[in-house]
Amino acid sequence: MAKISFDLVSPENLIFNDEVGMIIVPGKDGDIGVLPGHSKLISSLRSGRVMVYGENKDLLKSFFVSGGFAEVNPEKCIVLGETVEEMNSLDKNSIEKEIQELQNKDTDESKQQILIANAKIEALNASFYEKI
Amino acid sequence: MPSLKDIKTQINSVGSTKKITSAMKMVAASKLRRSQEKAEAARPYSSRLEEMLSSLATSASSGEGIIKLLTGTGEDQNYIVVPVSADRGLCGGFNSSINRETFKLVKKLKSENKKVQLLPIGKKSRDFFLRTLKENITDSFIDTNVSSAGYNIALEISAKLQSLYFEGKFDKCILVYNKFKSAISQEVTQQQLIPLDISNKNNEDKSNETESSNKAIYTYEPDEETILQDLLPKNVSIQIFKVLLESDAGEQGARMAAMDNATRNAGEMIDSLTLKYNRTRQAFITKELIEIISGAESI
Repeated sequence: MAKISFDLVSPENLIFNDEVGMIIVPGKDGDIGVLPGHSKLISSLRSGRVMVYGENKDLLKSFFVSGGFAEVNPEKCIVLGETVEEMNSLDKNSIEKEIQELQNKDTDESKQQILIANAKIEALNASFYEKI
Repeated sequence: MPSLKDIKTQINSVGSTKKITSAMKMVAASKLRRSQEKAEAARPYSSRLEEMLSSLATSASSGEGIIKLLTGTGEDQNYIVVPVSADRGLCGGFNSSINRETFKLVKKLKSENKKVQLLPIGKKSRDFFLRTLKENITDSFIDTNVSSAGYNIALEISAKLQSLYFEGKFDKCILVYNKFKSAISQEVTQQQLIPLDISNKNNEDKSNETESSNKAIYTYEPDEETILQDLLPKNVSIQIFKVLLESDAGEQGARMAAMDNATRNAGEMIDSLTLKYNRTRQAFITKELIEIISGAESI
């Protein structure tokens, strides 16, 4: 089966760069599944999960991105994430604690962070695409 | 004539200075490597972002809101100048060249009857402009320490600039920073940050051609305008981040070169002092000998 090269980039470094079978990215208007040979596309992303699958549709890795952009062409998919974290490294309890702390503050910044933290919780709870 | 002891203490003190400078050189060299790696790691993101932006830029007509980051306010009266310097000294002409260049730029703008504000980044330029152009300073950022704080500090600066921009406080923003050319050379560079200056990145005709061909092929989701509205603020942060990283690497490079020079000078000084020490010692011995011999002769 064909492969598509996938780059996951955060402002600070290149996080993932390999040939994979399929990627699911959280597009602003809904999730986008990218297979090799996908037509050219530029999309902005919402906060959510980026799922990376191997050739046999086995889940290799999943990441959390808080917004960003994706550029897709038939051979390559590039995701520019604002912040990128591996899903395994997220801890539900500490995020919930963070939300509570943030709710006490009332600034634009903390509101933004709450939105991102909520998206993290949602991503942790979500179980779609775990198996395909 | 200095005594032998005087010269000896002098040699010792130059020797310990040499030790310090060579240690600082080593520290700067390892920090330089780290900063360079950071700058290297940030490159894929910014180059991708720039590519996307240039393919989208043509679709922006003059508009309201965020698009103004690209098209400008249509005026050319209020400037904000952002000099990016280091927080610490002992790095040769690194900070002073930034300050000098900024000072010149501010003077030039003022002579054209523009209003100028300053937003220095780094202690060295903040302190310099607090002394010279205090009334022009809007705000400042110090202790940025980009190699450990990372992207967040760039976000903070960009948020500040954008809020000033949308309040209509300035029409154009110019960054003055040291571009990292190699470990031993930096180049003072001016970059227009807001409104985005696409023409300096590419040859304009050429980029227009590729843009139109790109535009025909790509599908945009949700649509070009929405993406552009996300992309433009992010681009400002990324540009600032890139500049901070470059300046950080440049600072370490400049410090390394300066300390290398200082170590070499100290070595030369020790050599010449040792020569002087030996000569003086010789002179003393000869003098004593003459005294003894002439004393013996007189008996």
